[in-house]
Amino acid sequence: MVEQTNQMMNQDPESLEELESGSASFSALVQQLTLIVGEAGILFDADELLVYECDGYIVDKTAPDIVVFPTTTAQISAIVKRCNQFNVPFLARGAGTSLSGGCLPIGGGVMIVLTKMKNILEINLRDRYAVVEPGMVNLHLTNALKGTGYHYAPDPSSQGACTIGGNIATNSGGPHTLKYGVTTNHLLGLEAVLPDGSIIELGGPTAEVPGYDLHGLYVGNEGTFGICTKAIVRLTRDPESHRTMLAIFQTIGEATRAISEIIAAGIIPSALEMMDQGIIQAVEEAFHFGFPLDAGAVLLIEVDGLEIALDEEVRQILEICNSCNVREIQRADTPEERLLIWKSRKQAFGAIGRLSPSYCTQDGVVPRTRLPEILEFIEETSKRYGLRIVNVFHAGDGNVHPILLFDERDKEQIQKVMEASEAILDKCLELGGSVTGEHGIGVEKINFMSRIFNQIDLATMETVRNIFNPRQICSRDKVLPPHQTDGSSKITQSHPTRHAPH
Amino acid sequence: MSSLHSGDLEEFVPASQIELSRFITENAIAAQKQIFPAGGRTSFSVCCPSSLSGTQICTSQLNKIIDYPVRDMTITVEAGMRIDQLNEIISAEGQRLPIDVPQSNRATLGGVIATNTSGPKRFSYGTIRDYVIGISAIDGKGNLFKSGGRVVKNVAGYDLKKMMVGSLGTLAIISQVSLNLRPKPESMCMVWFAFDSYVNVELALNAMITSGTRPTAVEYCNSKAARQIAAESRLELPSEHNVICISYEGPGNVVKWQANQIIEEWKEFSPLNSQIIEPDHATRLYNVFTEYQTSSDDPVTLKAVVLPSQMMKFVESATQLNIAIQAHAADGIVFGHLPDSASSLEDVKQILSQLKKSIDHKTGYLTVYQCESEWSDLLPLFCSPPPGWSLMKQLKNALDPNQLLNSKRFTELVET
Repeated sequence: MVEQTNQMMNQDPESLEELESGSASFSALVQQLTLIVGEAGILFDADELLVYECDGYIVDKTAPDIVVFPTTTAQISAIVKRCNQFNVPFLARGAGTSLSGGCLPIGGGVMIVLTKMKNILEINLRDRYAVVEPGMVNLHLTNALKGTGYHYAPDPSSQGACTIGGNIATNSGGPHTLKYGVTTNHLLGLEAVLPDGSIIELGGPTAEVPGYDLHGLYVGNEGTFGICTKAIVRLTRDPESHRTMLAIFQTIGEATRAISEIIAAGIIPSALEMMDQGIIQAVEEAFHFGFPLDAGAVLLIEVDGLEIALDEEVRQILEICNSCNVREIQRADTPEERLLIWKSRKQAFGAIGRLSPSYCTQDGVVPRTRLPEILEFIEETSKRYGLRIVNVFHAGDGNVHPILLFDERDKEQIQKVMEASEAILDKCLELGGSVTGEHGIGVEKINFMSRIFNQIDLATMETVRNIFNPRQICSRDKVLPPHQTDGSSKITQSHPTRHAPH
Repeated sequence: MSSLHSGDLEEFVPASQIELSRFITENAIAAQKQIFPAGGRTSFSVCCPSSLSGTQICTSQLNKIIDYPVRDMTITVEAGMRIDQLNEIISAEGQRLPIDVPQSNRATLGGVIATNTSGPKRFSYGTIRDYVIGISAIDGKGNLFKSGGRVVKNVAGYDLKKMMVGSLGTLAIISQVSLNLRPKPESMCMVWFAFDSYVNVELALNAMITSGTRPTAVEYCNSKAARQIAAESRLELPSEHNVICISYEGPGNVVKWQANQIIEEWKEFSPLNSQIIEPDHATRLYNVFTEYQTSSDDPVTLKAVVLPSQMMKFVESATQLNIAIQAHAADGIVFGHLPDSASSLEDVKQILSQLKKSIDHKTGYLTVYQCESEWSDLLPLFCSPPPGWSLMKQLKNALDPNQLLNSKRFTELVET
């Protein structure tokens, strides 16, 4: 019984120390960490720490007390052991592109930034894998593979900045996941430093390993199971050719019907991206691609594969689009034309920047056939809250990304954004979907967890997390709500500026 | 609900997930008998040694469709559904679960996940882990938990679905599954190549990485297996040498083009023979390849997982021991049927020990895939601890603290 009580106490993240700058333990920890990473590998000046106070989720901000930049697994293990010794929370950060607050250092502590560990350790085409360090930028891996006939398939929109380690933590997707899958489908194995500082290997370069699929379990842990220090990723054969089309529809309903019929015809496009009227107008205002401003939806459809197969697939797609009352179709048959079409999609976010000083990209999922309902609801929500909301998203997966435009300086608008987001995500759940397809729960959506999962589900998840991270010393207060039986959030109390939805 | 006795094993056939959850909860509180989840019993020889006693949970009544939104190409069913039944339902809508399952008339979906069953198509379509989008399962205490959902993209919460893959009934009893489906291809063909040397086989497999074709499966078999496969398929196929058989799926013209293309590409590796198996016969041959890994009457079937580049070295050693070999060659997954001459446990252990020498212990694994059920207590299924074995043990203890779910089997997985 005594043992049980101790265990419960140990599992409470509130028992972790909060560092005070200038205190004896702060100075001692800085000294110890400097011994590990050197003076050039550590920051603890308040001004320098500001950069690390948030990631792509800007609603909550908390700076870490110390930031370190290790270059080896051994250094990370040593850093983690020091954090345990000082009873100080720590967490890993890649490029900080998380959109759900995955890199928010709740309770301060030590932030372990992995951007210096960015090397490719091995590329093995015969066995179709690569071994990379966690700070490797996603796109850099694909660039390094150019000319080999292979690539790394997951390509999140932030692939020019985000890291493979971060992709593993959040199980990142991207526009090509409809055909090629998400990060978990391409991770063969990993090395990680566990929250107690020990180093483990899970999976491996072979196609499978016996026993429980632990590397699969590890993917999507949002940094709460430890720090991935090495990733073994599967390499995917490049398609021989692509065909890219832009189909302009009068209504979202017609565009959605076309999507379902394309897939029902046995064609799995490599990308099926939708832009709604709001984003079409924004893109058009900014870049003049020639989209009709009264169009209800534009679909970017890409098929890839063997050259010999593609013309027939394109013929079928055109036929289906025509039967769904498409207004106009633009085709890209050369690489230059393809780039131009993708530019319109990829620059959508840049166009939004011209419309509003700040925006919040939401991430919900519905069954593909329910897209018209969720988009209609988003439009109603936009009107109800007086917020401009535009949509550019992965339609083939039913993964919507409503973008809520607001002014960060206006507290009232922030509150409206939070409420509108919550309403939209609730609707996703009502339609049989999920509150996150690829951004993760982080801190942003932690209060949704008890609406999606019952207490047994959450308790089982907690049991599993406790195997890796029993004291929550590693990336505390993420993914799972504090305690299912306790309605009040301890995090909210310690962070009164939080505006997480309830 | 019914409760039958069969030898030392009682049988419990739950009619619902709730009933099963209640049964496991009561068992954990009171009787604390060993629980053995049973689907189609196709992997029972290794998963549930005959000497064990306790309660067998037969999932045959957990076979209902919960939800099939056809146009979303997802389906949610109870885990006791037989693979043939599932295939029949989704095939009627032009869809499929692209996982090859031997003995699919008996095998259940829950069993496929628990044993991580796969076949030739895994090269291009992946394995069951890539298709499970939601799962419900009951742990050793009777807790019915779920993970994931019913949409194809979802990162809410930890991915507990994955830990159930390959769990062999030792962690929780899988009760309900949501799957992502794929469209059925228009047609399929196979190309059968015979080679007289391992060197040429390796050269051909190596060239596959830059082939202009995109095969769905690349199967290798040695002459002993090739003879059995050819005979079983009732096709006239040259089978006195090493065989690589490649399959292509897709529109008829694309499949045909690829078949001709690979024959052209591989001429430089001097195959003794190359033969296109047209679609009408290809399905039959393909099914033989799918079934072969479990079709043997031999006393023990081994499974080795190695890097594809190291596979032929293993194949050579195994062939010298008169083992019939079939391999999903592009993935480095090898099945070996031991000869009848391996008639004693000592013989089998000796063969295992010899084969272990031809596997790089850092990147390769040898496991017992099927065996005589009286030997299954005496052979470790995993011939070496897999990476993360200590975490696996912790996971087992956390989800089944009373050690009730097929627990003797779990402790025997690794040779101590």
